[in-house]
Amino acid sequence: MSHPSEEIGERIVELLPRLRRFARSLSRNQHDADDLVQSGIERAWRHLEQFRPGANLASWMFGILKNAWLDNLRMRRRRGEVALPDDSGEHPAVSPVDSNTEMWSVSEAMSKLPEEQRVAVALVLVEGLSYKEAAEVLEIPMGTLTSRLARGRTALAAALEDGTPP
Amino acid sequence: MNYDDEILMAYVDGEVDATLRADIDAAIAGDPALARRVERQRAVRAKVTGAFAKVLDQPLPDQLMRAARGAAASDSSAGSGNVLQFPVRPSRAPSPPWRGREWGAMAASLLLGALISWRLLGTGDGAPIVPGKDSLVAHGALAHALEAQLASEQRGDEAVLIGLTFLAQDGNYCRSFELRATRTAGLACRAGSKWQVTATDSTTPAAGHLQQANSGLSPAILRAIEARVQGSALDAEAERNAQLASWKNE
Repeated sequence: MSHPSEEIGERIVELLPRLRRFARSLSRNQHDADDLVQSGIERAWRHLEQFRPGANLASWMFGILKNAWLDNLRMRRRRGEVALPDDSGEHPAVSPVDSNTEMWSVSEAMSKLPEEQRVAVALVLVEGLSYKEAAEVLEIPMGTLTSRLARGRTALAAALEDGTPP
Repeated sequence: MNYDDEILMAYVDGEVDATLRADIDAAIAGDPALARRVERQRAVRAKVTGAFAKVLDQPLPDQLMRAARGAAASDSSAGSGNVLQFPVRPSRAPSPPWRGREWGAMAASLLLGALISWRLLGTGDGAPIVPGKDSLVAHGALAHALEAQLASEQRGDEAVLIGLTFLAQDGNYCRSFELRATRTAGLACRAGSKWQVTATDSTTPAAGHLQQANSGLSPAILRAIEARVQGSALDAEAERNAQLASWKNE
């Protein structure tokens, strides 16, 4: 039997690929995404007592990452988008790992969606959560989730089909 | 039967019940326009789902592995974009805060100590710094700001401005501050439930610039920080988390 917190650590390690993917779908590049994952994980460890044993750890972590992402956006906005180090050009928006144009174009299209639609799309389409799970992570009613999801998808469809033959 | 996009989306996502699914299946078979709309929904879904799939196969950064296992991030943040870096001296041999050539600074500080003893120091309700058992402790508005104020959320016109927050080598949080009214900069470190004021300096630069690492911090305060800091200053996120944890570093 391992120590409970050791066990949680290993479970978070197992979730890392998905946390990085989720964060990547909310961020402009993998560097920002990994910063987000890091701060989300640190937040999770600080508030571990809020995690109910038996609850879904992935859902809990997605919720924390979502909050960290929103806090970060608000903070940047409050600062008036003052150049942060990661906007300095040292970390170009397209890094070698991101040179996949498919990811780049979807990422660009998602970055133009309103935040609440982006998060809904990320949870359901990128992470494959059910509507019920996604609504629980976002603490919103199912109907709200589906309408955000529908609006987000309609906008994405228009953006992604733009310039390509119908 | 006319199905709206939200229903077709749920159909594509496998979120409709068996009856509705059968109805839509049947409708698609006899309605090419509906079939195209469903196909369009499927295409968006596949495109978004597929776009980020590669991330799963990427090697995991060590830093995230350590964080996942609960390691403190302070030692592994070098190179991370959102963390302010200190110009930490190459030699990290333990050094007392004030030594050798810093006697000048210390003398100035003692003089300041004498000055603050009647300008800032007091026992009244309004005094920002009061004598504790064997040190000076923050009081009143200063104590409140150290406790509750986040550098990332300051407007710049608060009576007390918080500068940098960092973990000291002894594991306690320290925060630099500026008292605008008296143009006094200082450093306070967590000691139990109080904030011990470990350095003050009245030669502060213009207010409102303390948020930036190295800019706006007086040399004396910067030296005091350098003597204590472990790693780098907390970013806004970490600062908020530390505040939420009541400045207890577990």
